[in-house]
Amino acid sequence: MGLTYLEKFRDPSLAKNLVAAIHKESRLTLRLMEVCGTHTMAIFRHGIRNILPETITLLSGPGCPVCVTAQKDIDAFVAVSRQPDVIVTTFGDLMRVPGSGTTLAGQKGAGADVRMVYSVFDAVTIARQNPEKQVVFCAVGFETTIPTIAAAVLMAAKEKVTNFSIYGANKLTPPALAALMTTPGVSIDGFILPGHVSVITGVDAYRSVFETHKVPSVITGFEPIDILHAVLMLVRQNESRVPALENAYPRAVRESGNPKAREVMHQVFTVGDAAWRGIGLIKNSGMELKPDFKAFDAGARFELNLTDVAEPKGCACGEILMGLKTPVACALYKKVCTPMTPVGPCMVSSEGACAAYYNYG
Amino acid sequence: MNAEKNNTILLDHGAGGKASHALFSEMILPLFSNEYLAMGDDGAVYSVPAGKMAFSTDSYVVDPIFFNGGNIGDLAVNGTVNDIAMCGAIPLYISVGLIIEEGLPINDFQEIITSMATAADRAGVKIVTGDTKVVPRGKADKIFINTSGVGMIPEGVNVSGSRALPGDKIILSGTMADHGIAILTAREGLTFDGDLKTDSAPLNHMVKTMLSSGCEVHVLRDPTRGGVGTTLNEIASQSGVGMTLFEKDLPIKKPVNGVCELLGFDPLYIANEGKLLAIVPEKQASKVLDLIKADTFGKNAAIIGEVTDQRPGKVFLETAIGGQRLVDMLTGEQLPRIC
Ligand code: SF4
Ligand code: SF4
Repeated sequence: MGLTYLEKFRDPSLAKNLVAAIHKESRLTLRLMEVCGTHTMAIFRHGIRNILPETITLLSGPGCPVCVTAQKDIDAFVAVSRQPDVIVTTFGDLMRVPGSGTTLAGQKGAGADVRMVYSVFDAVTIARQNPEKQVVFCAVGFETTIPTIAAAVLMAAKEKVTNFSIYGANKLTPPALAALMTTPGVSIDGFILPGHVSVITGVDAYRSVFETHKVPSVITGFEPIDILHAVLMLVRQNESRVPALENAYPRAVRESGNPKAREVMHQVFTVGDAAWRGIGLIKNSGMELKPDFKAFDAGARFELNLTDVAEPKGCACGEILMGLKTPVACALYKKVCTPMTPVGPCMVSSEGACAAYYNYG
Repeated sequence: MNAEKNNTILLDHGAGGKASHALFSEMILPLFSNEYLAMGDDGAVYSVPAGKMAFSTDSYVVDPIFFNGGNIGDLAVNGTVNDIAMCGAIPLYISVGLIIEEGLPINDFQEIITSMATAADRAGVKIVTGDTKVVPRGKADKIFINTSGVGMIPEGVNVSGSRALPGDKIILSGTMADHGIAILTAREGLTFDGDLKTDSAPLNHMVKTMLSSGCEVHVLRDPTRGGVGTTLNEIASQSGVGMTLFEKDLPIKKPVNGVCELLGFDPLYIANEGKLLAIVPEKQASKVLDLIKADTFGKNAAIIGEVTDQRPGKVFLETAIGGQRLVDMLTGEQLPRIC
């Protein structure tokens, strides 16, 4: 019986060979960072950490859109949900992330109209069906999600769905990597770069970060074989001391990515600065609506009176996202902070590092 | 009751007067008909053989009320039948409490109670008492159903979540996550390739066969909400044992797995409504497995793991690629990932 396409990427004997090769070739002590939250989850779900040599440490990076959403932005979503005649739409994971007061799930429990959607287009549909209400979409995500959000804004503009708006907290990946590399104390011997994001950005988007910092980098997919393969490539780059930017996911990622999606994205958004939770402001790492589309900006539509609030005391999410700490090193981990009583988003998001340690540790 | 004039449930239907009477005697009674219900008394009077009884209750508030492969009605009957069967009992009688929202189309109501009657037939239980209430629009969501039931435990049977022993094998009676994924896709209007259908089914016949075969069965449990992962965690801590599961042996349908992958869900935590977990001594495992496989609802059964004396209270999974990970209890609802 032949293996189907996907099963090949889980084939135990292929995996065994890769693991054996990693054990044989790896000598240096390496700190490898999986940038993307989906990689973090896959690594835990397949039990990859404990089949690698002890000399290899896998660190989670700033690649889960829920984890990096600033507390100020969560507070804004909550504030919008408090407005009269508003329907807040959001992707699932965001529901439970604590703002400084409550969560969107808490707001829903208290009677606010908060709805989980699977696509931003569902939010536009809800707006069409509820003309007497304002429908706001909490726009979080990376390059993977931004083009679709842009397409929804374009659609709403074309169809004159004027009761639809977005609260934007979208972010870009390469500037975050660059910021990481210049943060004191950060030491990373290799990046496992996100597959989904790279489908849009292409390999080219990482070139300038790579040229400046020369950190071994491999783009890969989410199957166990993909990840093990990427680890082996990073081991080889380190052992031979020839860092490279490689694409181990050619079945999905092209050098130039998906220019069409990027075009839509840049039609609606322009690059601006963005606040990352636990990390702070990163220049040119966010996306703002262009003047032509300002009408769809929920931040301008509502008077939210947000005050700046400190992030929860003791939460080490920022250090975790930069690979400075592992969740177990956080003083609150498992004591105060659990999936039932999360202090930081890393414990909430299904892609969060703390949740992964907690659930699969 | 004049169905032409009123094609939805009205508050009158619950007011205890003529309309209530008509709803019961014209719609419900003919479907659930049996000698106990026909008595029309406030409760059912029946004789029971001597021995141990099992008694269970559950309320069903599923949204949507219709989904691929079933509806809230058969779910409510199968659910209670299974809860009783998981005590090692033979379910006999059940009660049905209906809380209906004003405005529910009569046709929908008809379809729901018809499937309840069919489910009770299939399980071989009698609906012997019940209650109907109608609440104003907005005070309930279409229809809520409570079912309670009783059953008799055959002599010598002793199954409990606290009886798993190191060395025992863990059997799952079929594919995981079918019900949860069917509900999710129906609720969210998601369309995927492949047949995503609930597995809602009565398991009492399967249980009866197992128990009357003379095989020793230590634990029976249906992994409903929280899925196989959470249920096994409960048993592990009840029994004070460890467990190891083998990913390669976990039965799951391809389309179900596909949806899980797409949304970032772990099928180990997704609800089942027609599956059971049986924990049995190693030497009888293959015989019990064969008995389960011979049942209509047990074709895809598999031995998925074993009970150990290592790390009591914890469940571990050996992954297909040879890694190992903890399978903890689920906290809260699983939420889809963002990208
Ligand atoms: S947004 Fe995409 S790249 Fe980022 S964590 Fe999710 S799947 Fe990975
Ligand atoms: S364990 Fe909780 S408090 Fe600590 S870093 Fe993670 S999310 Fe923050």
